[in-house]
Amino acid sequence: MTQDMTALPLSVHPSGTPAVATAPTAKAPAAAKARKTASHGAHDLNRNRGVDAALWVYILLAYAFVFAPIAASFIFSFNSDRFPSIPLGEISLDWYRAVATDPLVWEGLRNTLFVGVITGVVSTLLGFGAAYTDYRYKFAGKQVYLALALLPPTIPVIIMGLAMLAYLSRVNLSGNALSVIISHVVVCAPFAMAITRLRLSQMDPALEPAAWNLGASEWQTMRHVIIPFCKPAIFGALFITMAVSFDEFAVAWFVSGLNETLPVKVLGFLQGQVSPRINAIGTFVFVTSMTLVILAQLLLSNRDAKFRNTSGE
Amino acid sequence: MKKTHLPGASGAVTRRALLATGAAALAMPMLSRRAFAAPTELTMLAWYGHAEPDIVAEFEAEHNVKFVPKYYTGGDNMLGLISQSPAGTFDVILSDAEYVQALNAAGYVEELDPNDYALSDYFPEFQNFPGNWQDGKLFSLVTRFGFLGVAYNTDALTEAEAASYDVFWDPKLTGKVGHFDWHLPNLGQMSLTAGNAAAYDIDEAGWEAVKEKTMSLRSQIGGFFDYGGTFSSLNDGQMLAFAGIGDWITGVLEKNGAKVRSTIPEQGGLQWSECFSIGKGSQKADLAKKWIQYITSAKGQAKSAQMAAYPAIVPNAKGWEVLQAENPAEAKRQGMTKDAGNAMDLIRAGRIQYRQWPIQQDLETWNDFWSEYKGA
Amino acid sequence: MRSRISLYGLTFSLPLLLWQLLFFVFPLLFLVALSFWTVKNFTMRPDFDTVNWVTIYGRAVFWQAYATTFVMAALAALLTSALAFPAAYAIAFKLSDTARRWAVFLMVIPFFTSYLVRVYSWQIFLSDNGIINVLLGGIGLGPFPMLNTVGATMVGFLTLCFPLVVLLQLFSLAFIDRTLIEAAHNMRCGRLRTVFEVVIPSARVGLSIAALFAFILCFGDFVSPVYLGGGEPTTLSILITDTTKSGQQWPRAAVIALTMIATLLVVAFAAIRFAYKGRSK
Repeated sequence: MTQDMTALPLSVHPSGTPAVATAPTAKAPAAAKARKTASHGAHDLNRNRGVDAALWVYILLAYAFVFAPIAASFIFSFNSDRFPSIPLGEISLDWYRAVATDPLVWEGLRNTLFVGVITGVVSTLLGFGAAYTDYRYKFAGKQVYLALALLPPTIPVIIMGLAMLAYLSRVNLSGNALSVIISHVVVCAPFAMAITRLRLSQMDPALEPAAWNLGASEWQTMRHVIIPFCKPAIFGALFITMAVSFDEFAVAWFVSGLNETLPVKVLGFLQGQVSPRINAIGTFVFVTSMTLVILAQLLLSNRDAKFRNTSGE
Repeated sequence: MKKTHLPGASGAVTRRALLATGAAALAMPMLSRRAFAAPTELTMLAWYGHAEPDIVAEFEAEHNVKFVPKYYTGGDNMLGLISQSPAGTFDVILSDAEYVQALNAAGYVEELDPNDYALSDYFPEFQNFPGNWQDGKLFSLVTRFGFLGVAYNTDALTEAEAASYDVFWDPKLTGKVGHFDWHLPNLGQMSLTAGNAAAYDIDEAGWEAVKEKTMSLRSQIGGFFDYGGTFSSLNDGQMLAFAGIGDWITGVLEKNGAKVRSTIPEQGGLQWSECFSIGKGSQKADLAKKWIQYITSAKGQAKSAQMAAYPAIVPNAKGWEVLQAENPAEAKRQGMTKDAGNAMDLIRAGRIQYRQWPIQQDLETWNDFWSEYKGA
Repeated sequence: MRSRISLYGLTFSLPLLLWQLLFFVFPLLFLVALSFWTVKNFTMRPDFDTVNWVTIYGRAVFWQAYATTFVMAALAALLTSALAFPAAYAIAFKLSDTARRWAVFLMVIPFFTSYLVRVYSWQIFLSDNGIINVLLGGIGLGPFPMLNTVGATMVGFLTLCFPLVVLLQLFSLAFIDRTLIEAAHNMRCGRLRTVFEVVIPSARVGLSIAALFAFILCFGDFVSPVYLGGGEPTTLSILITDTTKSGQQWPRAAVIALTMIATLLVVAFAAIRFAYKGRSK
């Protein structure tokens, strides 16, 4: 799925972007010339080696920042000391053992996966619908509709949690995986919508009417024009919403009752005992999801390569 | 986890199909929980640690029970959870003594029969523990308690220095004093420091003195921490002294080799107490009763005193004896010996006061002041 | 044509509407009602009393926390955007396709590790005897107090937002017509000027949305202020927890929450208006 996101620049035809449409005509000859140079490849853009080197260093620093806590968590998960400190204690698998032998952790993991996958799919579907509605239709009360669609993530999670619990328990939906899914979709659908909407705003507004004029029905146009165009965003949305759900602990803490998800368990470890089990769980989940993402990456790039070959690009 | 792979696993195929590819493999050990000969599930609402194996494993094996804990992070948090869950959700409820009355008043707990429990083994002070009884009826049973005083880093302070709350104002601790983030124990200690005889029963003048004293400490403070944050900031020397806590934190750290300890300072210490109740509408009240019997028995009490998550003193005199035989070092460390100056002597000498709700002010008044203090 | 109600249109617009009505608006209305309830003796009871609004709005602590939270979230949004942009820019324009694919892939990984775990891990770096101070000590510097400061909270906010912001920025940069940039260069437009006059305006929607997300996430986050900032200064999320930590004052917490919601609404609409300003939809 990541693959699809990166593939974006390849799949967009330059003239399809609004930027070109608004480009001042005076620049047209230069642009034509530029297009010629650009066809030699992206590296033609690189002119100043000093700046490029600086940017490279910057990228490395950015990734160092992002990965520092992950790496530390990985290292300390093998540390025998209960409280992480330098220098390290002995290498040990105790924390993994503690996690692996805790049936509640396994149950939490199962709940998390179950909730995350369903939340991802439902949120993406709802979000896509809303984004398309915003893109295509103008109607009275649209502002209200958009507010409804985008507002939930702005609610502080702790209050969202209580409001959801109070409400769901009144309609007998609290304390199980379903209640977590319901709340998570509320929070995640706006993310899916924002991502899809961003993609739709890159679509040539003439594309859809053009398809209709060629005799395609609305449904056919959706299926053969819009959905393929949005596919990267749909996968992106699916993936982001799942990730949001996997990581959400506050609302889940309230509504999950006794069916806790893994992040709720981790919150408990953090608040209640500060145990390196946090690191062990983090590392385990990390390695597992890495494996899945790499697999997806390999599968998709394989398919993508085939696609590119056949399309003669 | 026992390595039994169960028949239950095969029935889960459709659900597994919904999960991401890799999840299938993960699902195996998870499902194996179902492999146990279907133990009865007993739900417990408690502070972290009370349903961990070091405490419940023996009871679980004896009665073929599996505890399903929901750990909370504070009394109000607990009340919020109970009030929003259907009656009967929680079989066993552990609560701080302050909240026991609120549980009673709201009708969240069942009445207990005092004859079911080894109350006569308890020290007399704990047989009629305040809040446990209401109109001559027993609603909860105190199971463990501990003292709150000055927690300090033994590299930074001597025991003599830590023998008074005044040490928090020591210039060498600027930015190194931490608060456990709850107004009740902190303001109680400030009340004692300000010279109030009864920490929580203070008139307007006494309250003004508490506020003034507390505010004067503000510039010394390095942070406000929850349970976990308190642990780590004391352990790594981030904070060198802590208000509002005691051995329930430093005891654990000490066991892990950290150089921290708690004292009961000259102005006196406070006492926290944890009580067990049976949740209203519990379908397994009998089993819940068995659990409370177990954990308040001499054997259970010795276990409870040594709980891995955080140690505590127990109110059962016979429990002390079992602990002395089992783990004399820990009995000595926590003052549960026959020696003079033991935990009960401290209480009897009037050095310890119960942590409780403010008597002459509203709870809100205290809480609002605490927020102001934090924001100052 | 555009406004005609059809089965087709409803298929896409209705599901989200229904879901959010049922599971978002109703709980929210309940929250509004809750803010007028009263609390006696740890028990909330339905009521219509403005006491909670009057109490909260009358407290200096609340307004102070409000200002703090707003400024910190705004700062975090700006900081994250500013720090993320060179990275997003470099990934978009300086890397080969393969390298870019991997760069995105790597930036996605943090989503799969818990934010809680990462914050916990930062404690190990930032504490007085932590990794950074040990390293600095090796060259005779420090120790510098870092944990339990606003700076540490910002590190937490960056941890929370940075990958998302980079991805969103990248997403919008990817759509910029490269020929436009080449054109600018050929017109002897300097590198920096090109970035500010061509790249950033073209990517404005994405950049604004990314900053908005960062603001929203930081405004409501309680993990970084508590676990890295040491609970200081008091943010609104901390104030909410405090309010509920004693005496079941959920109605007052609801007042704070509703104020936060209103604020975020205003900010979100302002940001979106800014993002799409002058663009034909």
